[in-house]
Amino acid sequence: MKKISSEDVHKEVHRFWAILSGNLAGKLEEMYSPSAIVFTGKAKRSESGKLMAVRRSRQIPGPAHSSRADIGSIDVQIVGPDVAIAAYTYSFNTQKILVNGSKVQINTLLGRATQIFQRGEDGALRIVHEHLSAAAPPAMEKAGE
Amino acid sequence: MSNISSDDVRAEVKKLWDFLSRKMKSQFAEMYLSSATVFAADARRMEPARLMLVRRERELLGPASSVAAKLGPIDVQPLGADLAIASYPFHLSITRTRASGKRYQSEVPSGRVTQVFQRDEKGVLRIIHEHMSSAEPVSTKELPPTDPPRHV
Repeated sequence: MKKISSEDVHKEVHRFWAILSGNLAGKLEEMYSPSAIVFTGKAKRSESGKLMAVRRSRQIPGPAHSSRADIGSIDVQIVGPDVAIAAYTYSFNTQKILVNGSKVQINTLLGRATQIFQRGEDGALRIVHEHLSAAAPPAMEKAGE
Repeated sequence: MSNISSDDVRAEVKKLWDFLSRKMKSQFAEMYLSSATVFAADARRMEPARLMLVRRERELLGPASSVAAKLGPIDVQPLGADLAIASYPFHLSITRTRASGKRYQSEVPSGRVTQVFQRDEKGVLRIIHEHMSSAEPVSTKELPPTDPPRHV
């Protein structure tokens, strides 16, 4: 099986954010291993990556609502023939529809990400563990129509 | 070499917090590989573990400082013979001494951590990457100069 490379990991990180921003068609849940564990922005406990990805997919904006992710320099540590750790900072600007139907703009300016990728038997890189956090709470404001 | 077991990883996690709370600085520092990287809970950027260790030694391991941690359930994901991920929630109470000499009491009620352990050339499990964060804002208050360190 092909050894994991830094370029492979960079490509997957960019693909992840392109899907999450609604700029690339693709199923977010397919980026996660079935046994993946994740810490999302404000969750007190970890949860299944697949479940979180399904939930997150429902929040991916449609073409009318632009989201934007800016990724800082990605540090990749190759820690085995088939495993690599990607760690980087990011900012993410997106819209969310609240339960009452109103829209809010959420700006995560000081995001920090750790994503651990493993190559599966089919040759695809998948996230086996993810920890997303922010050094400061995201700014929220009412979005225009 | 034998596969990493979940129990081995949980034991290393407990050792790490024990070394920190008992201020065993060289044992604590040895838990990290020289190439390890960390996201500290309140840091904007990742840094080499060696820098984090210098800061923790200065702020948390002095005589007027203290660390008390309560760990939640530790999830372990083995990734082969040499690698495993530990992730768990924690509650942290710390008394920190800044370079100015001022002391601060901080509570991290909903801490979360990911630690990636790798076997070194001697077969010892050590941390190659750590990401700490808090799901809730950290509360911090300045302590009066005479207030002794808090032990929990």
